[in-house]
Amino acid sequence: MIRLEVKDLKVRYNASGPEVLKGVNLTVEHDDFLAIIGPSGAGKSTLIRCINRLVEPTSGEIIFEGTNIPSVGRHGLRKIRRNMGMIFQEFNLVDRMSVMDNVLSGRLGYTGNLRSLLRWYARADIHKALEILDKVGLSDFVDKRADELSGGQRQRVGIARALIQEPRLLLVDEPTSSLDPKISRDVMGMIKTLSEEAGVPVLCCIHDVQLAIDFSNKIVGLQDGLKVFEGPPSRLDRSALEEIYAFEVL
Amino acid sequence: MNPSSIQIRLERVVALRKRYKAIRYFFYFILFLLVLYSIKITVIEDTDWERIGGLGMVAKAMGRFLPPDLSVVKYLFKPTVETFMIACLGTMLAVVLSIPVIWLGAHNITPFFAVTYPLGRSLMTLSRSVNEIVWALIFVAAVGLGAFPGILAIAMRSVGFVAKTTAEAIEDVNTGPIEAIKAVGGSRFQVIRYAILPQILPIFISLVIFQWDINIRRATITGLVGAGGLGLTIQRQLLMYNYGGVTTVILAMLVLIGIGEVVSYYARRAII
Repeated sequence: MIRLEVKDLKVRYNASGPEVLKGVNLTVEHDDFLAIIGPSGAGKSTLIRCINRLVEPTSGEIIFEGTNIPSVGRHGLRKIRRNMGMIFQEFNLVDRMSVMDNVLSGRLGYTGNLRSLLRWYARADIHKALEILDKVGLSDFVDKRADELSGGQRQRVGIARALIQEPRLLLVDEPTSSLDPKISRDVMGMIKTLSEEAGVPVLCCIHDVQLAIDFSNKIVGLQDGLKVFEGPPSRLDRSALEEIYAFEVL
Repeated sequence: MNPSSIQIRLERVVALRKRYKAIRYFFYFILFLLVLYSIKITVIEDTDWERIGGLGMVAKAMGRFLPPDLSVVKYLFKPTVETFMIACLGTMLAVVLSIPVIWLGAHNITPFFAVTYPLGRSLMTLSRSVNEIVWALIFVAAVGLGAFPGILAIAMRSVGFVAKTTAEAIEDVNTGPIEAIKAVGGSRFQVIRYAILPQILPIFISLVIFQWDINIRRATITGLVGAGGLGLTIQRQLLMYNYGGVTTVILAMLVLIGIGEVVSYYARRAII
């Protein structure tokens, strides 16, 4: 079952600037862990950010459960965004809030302005937050401030914040670039296990090819705004890598 | 290099230096004339020399301020507390008034950039460019004598500084959390509440304490034009030619300002 379909997506950041994405097509099935790889500047992050319109696409379609995302208005966009979790390279936590408040902020899409002013989250949301914090192994850090945690712990808060949305799609933007190799692997493993458990497909851009091979079931290779590879990790051989990374792999 | 060529160049250098020296002294002379002229039209022509009389008379006039008239001390408690309250309430009102101004005047959260951003910035400038005495005169005329116009004047004067500095802090905020709150489907309000407010709150509180400290000073002055507090007491002592009493009130102001300074120092340190 197709969860997300991107058709001929083009992006340029300003009218006179270069095209960052030059017509990309891709499909995410309901049980995919799709990894996007490619050299720096290929447009991986831009592609992910177009899906929830943190970046406005210039043209093309992004069909998510029957809705064309680029054409929805502001209200519709909020509804779409709350159905997509996002995990960031720099975690993007609110440093001066507690771990619990950071996780609960994942429910803001479902919380009215007045309630969110006073941080009155539904009791069920707090219950859910505790469950998820257990799963990511942070049950001892509930009341700690986010800036007291280590990098790996902070990213686990980021994962919890995305999962509490009960998303229909998980967007993951370079989740491991700020982490050391061992913790990178733990974090990827955690994203994979928990997304499978929740039945959420994952769209993940990642520059570490080995992690992409080990954790994904489908790989898309981008180079200079164009898709140059698509297939299962088993087909990602040396010649495919050379094509994606051009002269970078020698 | 033969000696004669050095001689020639020496003459040239010396001549040049002489010319520069002449130009320099010419400018000093002009400057001196300007200073003399300024003193002439301000101090010499604008002062009532006959009333001042000799140096002894000046010393005598100054002497009237001493010793402090301690008999007024018992009347000072109420105006001192009033001055303190004017500063506190004025600062609180400024905080409330600054919130919409900050919203309009920070370019990354202003709702309709082309209209609201210049509006917010103008309000900040207006607040800051009108002195507290002038604000007090306006509000005394509007609502009459007493502490209330003082509170309004202090608030109007503070809004600009609080709003401008906070708006600039908001413009420098880390954008990561803003993206994150947008990505979970947060509204504009929720982005401000969750991604921006926690980041700027310590700066904001520190600014407000700093303003409160300054506002104690301002509140002692605005009374001179009828806006309550110790300033009003000074004015009354002056009207009664009780110069010793004026000195006492000034001492009370110093004590109050000193207290404000100490409190704000420790409060700001506790936050940072």
